[in-house]
Amino acid sequence: MKKFRVTVNGQTYEVEVEEIDAGEARPAPAEQVKGVVPKEAKAPKPAVPAKREEAAVSEGGEAVKAPLPGVVVDVKVEPGQKVRPGDVLVVLEAMKMENEIPAPIAGTVREVAVSQGQSVSVDDVLVVIG
Amino acid sequence: MGIEERLRELQHRKAQVVAGGGPERVKKQHAKGKLTARERLAKLFDPDSFMELETFVEHRCTDFGMDRVSAPGEGVVTGYGTVDGRLVYAFAQDFTVIGGTLGEMHAAKICKVMDLALKTGAPLVGLNDSGGARIQEGIDALDGYGKIFYRNTLSSGVIPQITAIMGPCAGGAVYSPALTDFVFMVDKTSQMFITGPQVIKAVTGEDVSLEALGGASTHNRTSGVAHFYAVDEEDCLAQIKRLLSFLPANNMAEPPRGPDTDPHDRMEESLLEVIPEDPNKPYDVRDAFIPVLDDGDFLEVQEMYAQNAVVGFGRLGGHVVGVVANQPRILAGCLDINASDKIARFVRFCDAFNIPLITWVDTPGYLPGTAQEYGGIIRHGAKVLYAYSEATVPKLTVILRKAYGGAYIAMCARSLGADQVFAWPTAEIAVMGPEGAANIIFRKEIAESEDPAAVRAEKVAEYRRRFANPYVAARRGYVDTVLDPRETRPRLINALEAMCCKRETRPARKHGNMPV
Repeated sequence: MKKFRVTVNGQTYEVEVEEIDAGEARPAPAEQVKGVVPKEAKAPKPAVPAKREEAAVSEGGEAVKAPLPGVVVDVKVEPGQKVRPGDVLVVLEAMKMENEIPAPIAGTVREVAVSQGQSVSVDDVLVVIG
Repeated sequence: MGIEERLRELQHRKAQVVAGGGPERVKKQHAKGKLTARERLAKLFDPDSFMELETFVEHRCTDFGMDRVSAPGEGVVTGYGTVDGRLVYAFAQDFTVIGGTLGEMHAAKICKVMDLALKTGAPLVGLNDSGGARIQEGIDALDGYGKIFYRNTLSSGVIPQITAIMGPCAGGAVYSPALTDFVFMVDKTSQMFITGPQVIKAVTGEDVSLEALGGASTHNRTSGVAHFYAVDEEDCLAQIKRLLSFLPANNMAEPPRGPDTDPHDRMEESLLEVIPEDPNKPYDVRDAFIPVLDDGDFLEVQEMYAQNAVVGFGRLGGHVVGVVANQPRILAGCLDINASDKIARFVRFCDAFNIPLITWVDTPGYLPGTAQEYGGIIRHGAKVLYAYSEATVPKLTVILRKAYGGAYIAMCARSLGADQVFAWPTAEIAVMGPEGAANIIFRKEIAESEDPAAVRAEKVAEYRRRFANPYVAARRGYVDTVLDPRETRPRLINALEAMCCKRETRPARKHGNMPV
């Protein structure tokens, strides 16, 4: 197996190229792109199953959207602030509940798109984490 | 030929099969962070307990040069053994042997072990790692898939069926896992999809990576196809063992008893602090039921999917129970399409395998919105009603806080056959929330008053005082007992043991027609 480093649109990929034996069956076309993994996704495996929360997402900023329509009653973060998965970003009152909208990933708050008192609809962007 | 020589030949032939695709391919498998089929089985089963079946089966395809291709073990290892001392059947596809592709005889081996599992009433575990259908074998390969699907369906509700995806699983191959009860996926090394990224690119123009399309995270979070997420293969196999420890061997058997060392009369002080005073404040529903379970031990199923509902297994007084709960922390604990699917499927599993259901209620209702209505929340929500009504296992319900409208009924209310309904003093059981109800009932008074806002507030408060409590429902017998939250564990164990001989029959029929 040979390894190549390929840069596409500024993003670097590590590509493994494997020679296939004539007899080896290769039905699924998907097989051929196997091993193409964005470089930054190759984070070292956590020693303990610290799993769940910090799964994937690496391309650009992650927009945190309103899961249901409601009114923003509190904004807990500001641009530039570092957040960890689970940190509360925004409190959204909907269905008579003050829903805490958590950060899905670790990162830095790139943008806060809403302010206190603002009404939002489903899928409106609340916060962008970069 | 003397016996010595014959034994040598046998040894040689066995060794050939055990070597799988050979050291080179085994090395490649390891380099990907994957174990071989036999290594996986060794980790799943008790030491030296696994007995292999049909070791010497070979394919009989002669087209496309296949007559010259040897496939030791036909790309799949099948057999049985014990897991924590209990009989389990398993098959493990061997990616090192012609990509673990499925041909006629490969499928026949799987079918044989499935038949044995069904006949003997023991769980079946499938470890999938296959390039898909062996194209050279054409429709014989497809027929093989069909035979597996048919057996998955016959076994459904008779023996627990568990699948782990430990490599590619594409096209028709995905449907056998989908027909089983629980699907495990391993991060980064397993993918499931009907059509791969290249076909999607060609047909719809969408650019998507393998992992984003069908990785463990996608199927655990977004699609709900997978039930468990594993960081690596060891984690995956350990989780399968843990799941098996909660499951009976078959639908005629009782689930395995736990150690039952946690005192039945344990009063749990922390439960007084769980429900916030302000009914609009969220909390984690797991804080309400995990302390009640034996040793606080809870195995959550579909932890990442439709998180507005929580389902999983635990024990009470040593008895395995299925837990279903609304999660006020996510989407206010509303029932929506995905949560309805998740709950209904879990409830039906528990009912099929004699696992009593404990339902914890805190829901303001079904989630409003066009997306939900267009998506068919009516037929999906109906599944929850169907599943609970159909279930004949002991059904206990604990109402923690909000139990409003149709969602109150859906969460195993008395009318759906709950055997005992408990409510905490914080329960608000009503047709709708005080704000909405006051606006409708007192519309005229509010509109005609000089200070509508003040009158509305007063009417809301009045409605809350009169109806947002557990006592209206308790007066009518919809709630059996209003509990001091600390008593929850002793009362549930007591109720469970009182229900142990529950017998409930349903009209004879071929099968119901659940809204799917």
